Amino acid sequence: MIILVRKKAAIVGYGETPFSRARADKGEATLSAEQYYAWATELVLENTGLEKSDFDGEGLAVGGSEWPHSEIWSAEVAQNLGISPKLLIRSDHGGMSGVALLIQAVLAVHSGLVEKVLCVAADSPMSLQGPASRPWRYMIDFCRPFGMMGPNSMIAFILQRYLYQYGIKPEHTGKIAVTQRQHASMNPNAYLKTPMKMEDYLNSRMIVDPIRLLDCCILVNGGLAFVVASQKEAKKITDNPVHVLGIGEAHNYLHGSRTRPDVTVTGIKPAAKEAFKMARVRTKDVCFIEPYDDYTIIVLQQLEDLGFCKKGEVGKFVDKTDLSTKGKLPVNTGGGQLSAGQAGMAGGFLHVIEAVRQLRGEGGQRQVPDADVGVVSGMGGLGYAVNLVNNGIVVFGK
Amino acid sequence: MSAQQPSGYQKSLPEITPLTKPFWDATKRHELVIQRCAKCEGHQWYPRAICTLCGSRDLKWSKASGKGSIYSFVVIRQVIDNSPAFQSDIPFVLAEVELEEGPRMYAPMVGCKPEDVRIGMKVEVLFEDATDTVAIPKFKLVP
Repeated sequence: MIILVRKKAAIVGYGETPFSRARADKGEATLSAEQYYAWATELVLENTGLEKSDFDGEGLAVGGSEWPHSEIWSAEVAQNLGISPKLLIRSDHGGMSGVALLIQAVLAVHSGLVEKVLCVAADSPMSLQGPASRPWRYMIDFCRPFGMMGPNSMIAFILQRYLYQYGIKPEHTGKIAVTQRQHASMNPNAYLKTPMKMEDYLNSRMIVDPIRLLDCCILVNGGLAFVVASQKEAKKITDNPVHVLGIGEAHNYLHGSRTRPDVTVTGIKPAAKEAFKMARVRTKDVCFIEPYDDYTIIVLQQLEDLGFCKKGEVGKFVDKTDLSTKGKLPVNTGGGQLSAGQAGMAGGFLHVIEAVRQLRGEGGQRQVPDADVGVVSGMGGLGYAVNLVNNGIVVFGK
Repeated sequence: MSAQQPSGYQKSLPEITPLTKPFWDATKRHELVIQRCAKCEGHQWYPRAICTLCGSRDLKWSKASGKGSIYSFVVIRQVIDNSPAFQSDIPFVLAEVELEEGPRMYAPMVGCKPEDVRIGMKVEVLFEDATDTVAIPKFKLVP
């Protein structure tokens, strides 16, 4: 059964702080995650014209953080911000946190429990003071002692397997990196704006074969926020709401077999199927996509799993498709995490906010013409011998 | 590989728990053991408190053949902050080995150059003693 949340809730505003890579250990001025939470909240209140007190008795949705934080974290954020919500939601979905909190906020609004939810996440991974949060136990026990070098090496296994099964060229992953940098050059808040050529991508150093430096996202400090509201409430707040048309999630999705899954297929496949059906939208209706992008290969896999081409055919698809904001299928129109920046555990909020910007016609130089349907994905947690564990899709419309 | 003395071992070590101790004890005997479900007879890796296939908690440790094939692999060329002691091994191949019993396991390859390794190649386990309580399973290519 499909729960119909189509056009039951909307995003009515957003806030995004400048991104920074300042480091405390180099004596540079830095902000903590708590300070970025406060800043993002201030910005989203300015953007929506709401007061902080408007969220007392409403919803507050809080993302996780690499910056050292308490186990009971969302209650600490509520206290730090001085908000007394009726509903308090916490996400620990890593890169999927933005989409996960958005979906939970939509369901909360649809149920009638609250009229609006402030969704906020911030992180300061470049300025850690003290130990970051603990990784998964099997990372400590069965990855690090064996020489695994974090997510860069875990994604490299997936790319290597993809290359073996389907044989794409470096120029295909490169096209994602180059196109998104071009978009970032038109995004005043992107951390990396210097234009990149294919040659630059191909010449970037191998970190973990087959992953190059320019296949990876750029880590930044920052805070991001948006407000979800019921249709009734949305009308009071803005004359330019962005509607949620469809949602879908899939966690620990294993394609084929639990013991020996095909890691070239992601949980975006089942999540998108459900979200598109709910939204009554087909791939041909989609004006742009903001796919989660910790690495270039995951964007290519999603083009297949979202249904824009068949599994194994993404090389041919990107060869013939203009992925720029002026093209047939614009991808990560603000530069994504690859170029705009990944604000640690808050990174997945970026894709949601950029989709809202586009559908409100606030994309500036990078505005996709006549955009009325956009798709956002969130993915989190590279698992043991599998792909990303948390997967979510939201289809937005005007 | 390295000629490090066990007492001077600098690389990351596991946090051994009652759940994982039988595995690490076996590595000291240079045996590879993985969990096998007494109910559905499925194998799993890494060690867990439940059979992820059927839900039984009746899991036994079972000696694996130590043989498998390469499902995927990577070449580590750069260490990260929490793993500086691997610097002297760089570049090295980390393999995702599909064990004969079914599950896939990450482990380093030894005795081969990065350019020698291909997906599908047959491999066999061997062990590097790290400390008094831990030996690290590694794999080598077999003809």
